[in-house]
Amino acid sequence: MSWEVDALNILQLRDVCFSYDGSPFVEGLNLCIGEGLFCGLIGPNGSGKSTIMKITSGILTPDSGDVLLWGKDIHSYSGSDRAKLISYLPQLLDLKLPFTVRELVSMGAYPYKIPPEITVAEAVEMVGLQNEIESPISELSGGERRRAFIAMTLLQGAGLILLDEPLANLDIRFQIELIRLLKDLREKKGISVLMALHDINLIYHFDYLFVVKEGRLVCEGDPLEIITEGLLSDVYGVELKVYPQEDGTMLFRV
Amino acid sequence: MNRRTVKSSFLIVVASLLIVGGALFLGPHFINPFGMGDVDRNVLLGIRLPRVLVALIMGAGLGASGAVLQGFLRNPLADPYILGLSGGAALMASGGILFGSRLFGPFSIPLYAFVGSLLTGLLVGFMAYWRRGFWPERLLLAGVGLGFLFTALLMLMMSLSTNEGLRRAIHWIFGDLSISDWPLIPYGGAIVAGGGLIGLWRARALNALMLGDEIAHSLGFSPFRERLLLFISVGLMTSASVSLGGTVGFVGLLIPHIVRFLTGPDARSLIPLSAFSGAAMLCLADLIGRTVLSPMEVPAGIVTAILGAPYFLYLLRRQDVLGG
Repeated sequence: MSWEVDALNILQLRDVCFSYDGSPFVEGLNLCIGEGLFCGLIGPNGSGKSTIMKITSGILTPDSGDVLLWGKDIHSYSGSDRAKLISYLPQLLDLKLPFTVRELVSMGAYPYKIPPEITVAEAVEMVGLQNEIESPISELSGGERRRAFIAMTLLQGAGLILLDEPLANLDIRFQIELIRLLKDLREKKGISVLMALHDINLIYHFDYLFVVKEGRLVCEGDPLEIITEGLLSDVYGVELKVYPQEDGTMLFRV
Repeated sequence: MNRRTVKSSFLIVVASLLIVGGALFLGPHFINPFGMGDVDRNVLLGIRLPRVLVALIMGAGLGASGAVLQGFLRNPLADPYILGLSGGAALMASGGILFGSRLFGPFSIPLYAFVGSLLTGLLVGFMAYWRRGFWPERLLLAGVGLGFLFTALLMLMMSLSTNEGLRRAIHWIFGDLSISDWPLIPYGGAIVAGGGLIGLWRARALNALMLGDEIAHSLGFSPFRERLLLFISVGLMTSASVSLGGTVGFVGLLIPHIVRFLTGPDARSLIPLSAFSGAAMLCLADLIGRTVLSPMEVPAGIVTAILGAPYFLYLLRRQDVLGG
């Protein structure tokens, strides 16, 4: 595989190794995120999904290997320059924030000296929270709170959004709504997404899927092509039957 | 800034100015600003004005540092003294008072307090640094731990002491503005202003840190660097105010909450308005303290607590403090 800088790859991880307290956790990881792609990252609990997300966003610095954002080391960017290109939302969002939706979303403009392209009201409207704009974050439902944070990243205007398990704790309706919203943003604004998730029933929504196990990339590609009974048995250790459907979705049965 | 913030800010500023005017001319001895004699002028310039200025500087420093600290520790119970800074200051200052040390003339006691507070700050900061991070929980625990140690040492020193400095030391610990003197005011004012400006300069980072370190990073801030700067801001403001007039409770803990109720949580307005309100609050408390039982004086720290705590508890019943 060649690792030449590809203009279509927003982000590349090259041979990344990372350890916690001396014990290796991520080893020899190579990963490319293409422009405008809706990418998923799956793997069992403890497989390193969150760590990979944090390395990718520049929060954690790998022991060795490179994290390249638009072909340049992510740690060589100034904080505000990096923030204009890539944004990250962790799995757990603080429930007791004193801010209103408007106050929260307006923080997305912090990396900018001059106001960003879209206004706070526009960002809030894109996620459908215009009626809650003056509501305190603490009074929103889980799904609404997640959307409020996404509105903040929209104002931030980064071309790549990393979301660590945003679907956890959301009911099926909010899950579908959030995925639709993100795909819609990809269509309208060309935003690329890397999302870590647990629910394999949702993977057919993604253009591209990364499967990790024990800190290593096991498999990547179009979910409809790469997800097989053998792969799931190997990665998760459970026997699942996979039924590809005619409409391009997938059914799983134990 | 929304309408509520603008309106409340205006009220806070007007109220502060009225209180300062009151503190200058009212008191056990009324001064008529339009018919001052020589005695009145001497009282005003030699006693009242420095005292009012010290109350303003201390109150502003404590209010603003409370606002910064509660934000970056993400803890509504944090006050500037929780980091042990006042403990270190009290230990050094009381040592100076009890042993009658006058190495630096009239600057001695405030200087000991300032050095004690800064050394404690360095120690707490050193303890809180761990794995390339500067962690709120470690800051709090280190501050509380050192605070207990210093209080114990202070008690030990006081219980062994027999000289007449004891009463003065106790007075200092409770916040004694009657010792305020002109020469200290420019230094105290400059240090509090410097700390306050650092806090204001990093106000956006402070808002972002309240969303969590990872989101702050995603918005372009380095949590380590920002917390260090904010810690320096708090350290400077708290140390300077403790050195000027001892430890005054309530202002640093509750003023930021009251301002947050009135104007919202954005640090860009919360820091300056907490400074204004803290200054006005302490000024008012000092005016009351030196007037009600005149010629006896009630320390300002005791007045702030007696007046402020019930108001805070009233707000607590009416509104949601933690936003949750």
